[in-house]
Amino acid sequence: MNDAIKMQISAFVDGELPQNEAELLLRRLCQDGELRQQAAEYMAVGRIMRGEKIVVGMAQLRERIAAELDDENVQLDAPEAQAAPARFARPLAGLAIAATVAVVALLGLQQLSTGPADTGGEAPAVAEAVDGAYTVPQADEDPLRDYYQIHNASASYVGAGSINARLVDFQVREDLVLSAVNAAETVEADAEPADDAETPAP
Amino acid sequence: MTIAGRHKAAAVLVALGVAGAAQAQDGPPSEWLDKMAGAVQTASYEGTVIRIQNDKVEALKVVHTVTDGIVREKVIVQEGNGLEIIRNGNEVQCILPDKKSVLVEEWNDQSALFSSLPAGDIRFGSEYDVSIVREDRVAGRKTVLLAIRPHDEYRYGHRIWLDMETGFPLQTKLISQEGEAIEQVRFADIKLGGNIHASALAPSMSTENFRWFTQPKRTVTPIVDSPWQSDELPAGFRVVSTHEENLSARDTVVTHILYSDGLANVSVFIEPASDRKIAQRSSVGSSNSYSVETGGFSVTAVGEVPAATVEKIATSMRPN
Repeated sequence: MNDAIKMQISAFVDGELPQNEAELLLRRLCQDGELRQQAAEYMAVGRIMRGEKIVVGMAQLRERIAAELDDENVQLDAPEAQAAPARFARPLAGLAIAATVAVVALLGLQQLSTGPADTGGEAPAVAEAVDGAYTVPQADEDPLRDYYQIHNASASYVGAGSINARLVDFQVREDLVLSAVNAAETVEADAEPADDAETPAP
Repeated sequence: MTIAGRHKAAAVLVALGVAGAAQAQDGPPSEWLDKMAGAVQTASYEGTVIRIQNDKVEALKVVHTVTDGIVREKVIVQEGNGLEIIRNGNEVQCILPDKKSVLVEEWNDQSALFSSLPAGDIRFGSEYDVSIVREDRVAGRKTVLLAIRPHDEYRYGHRIWLDMETGFPLQTKLISQEGEAIEQVRFADIKLGGNIHASALAPSMSTENFRWFTQPKRTVTPIVDSPWQSDELPAGFRVVSTHEENLSARDTVVTHILYSDGLANVSVFIEPASDRKIAQRSSVGSSNSYSVETGGFSVTAVGEVPAATVEKIATSMRPN
């Protein structure tokens, strides 16, 4: 990726790229997957170096490219997709939130994909959920999560591929904490009386 | 500088480059792999990791120290929910700032289970060709690029950029049989070695009013052998360890057999079949799993290998 493209991307994200140049840039990004990846990586590094957390233009960039591509994978990154039922696959898809730049959210967001077999089971129950207190999640609903964790813990001591294993472990852990939080919120919601419940007549 | 002077300088630089390449390529590539294996277990470092997978890029801040064999680590996702994972020896805290929640996990000491492994026995066999490609630079440091090409379809290829000075992998690329990059991990910046202050490993926020969750402690018991074995194990994979894992959360004891070809690892988990069905296929990151029921047992293979490999191993497991 040449410096001119880098400058264009930076200018677009900052909202400073003229409209006609922005259209050209978007068209190139839509047509060239390799360039999208390079651009994403470039922006990721730049933002980290600058210590930035939020860039206003990123959402616009994502929406524009998503609209151009009409790629159904884009829908996986939509907020409503993140609120899917609390199952093993859902929180890992939620990792897409952590995607460094919006353009990379165009593809490959579903981190865990399962085969035809249904895993069954319900969202994990949580005994109690009290702010500032320890809570013990009850039995895990999916043995696969245990398996991935145990494998990664072992694999990190063996062979040269331990870095990849640790990154997988990272994803599984995010899934674990999100599951625990979601389950706690479910329990809390169930425990609260409905606002529109009728008051019994005296 | 005169033209003659420039030519002279260029000639010196070329000579230095050739000398450097010759230095990196001295000795067999396996020595670099040995150096890397040692570095990943002992190095302390602080830096930013860029991970690319399926055209998705994410950045992680990583602080990692090893002192007297005890690993302490902090990893922070730089975007979205800002997840922090802090490991202090065998305790792991997963902090989710936007949910004001912390999940605490405790494992028994796994390092003791593997420290006795003879390193030479789990290094590379004949299933890969390992070669030095060239010298390169990553994160501002000199590296040597290794290409690791598998001989069959049961494992991935690798490109690994090793720090010339320490052997630490500054960039890795996992390559499919079709030659496509499955996953890339690269340090954008790194400080290797030196003093890393304890405060760098502390949570980056106060967790005072957070909700805390605990995972039941897991215990692992080494066992000498297991009646289970694969009768069609892909070439080069060997049993590295056999354990019983007590999953107290599910009140289940699982037999765990770890296979390795020196680079790729596959775990096989065996437990009595139950009503709780396991997805036949799944993948997380670069890992795949395959699950099958046989003789009243659920057998699941998990590893950073192609889907065909975990399927072949899982379906070939038999009790003697």
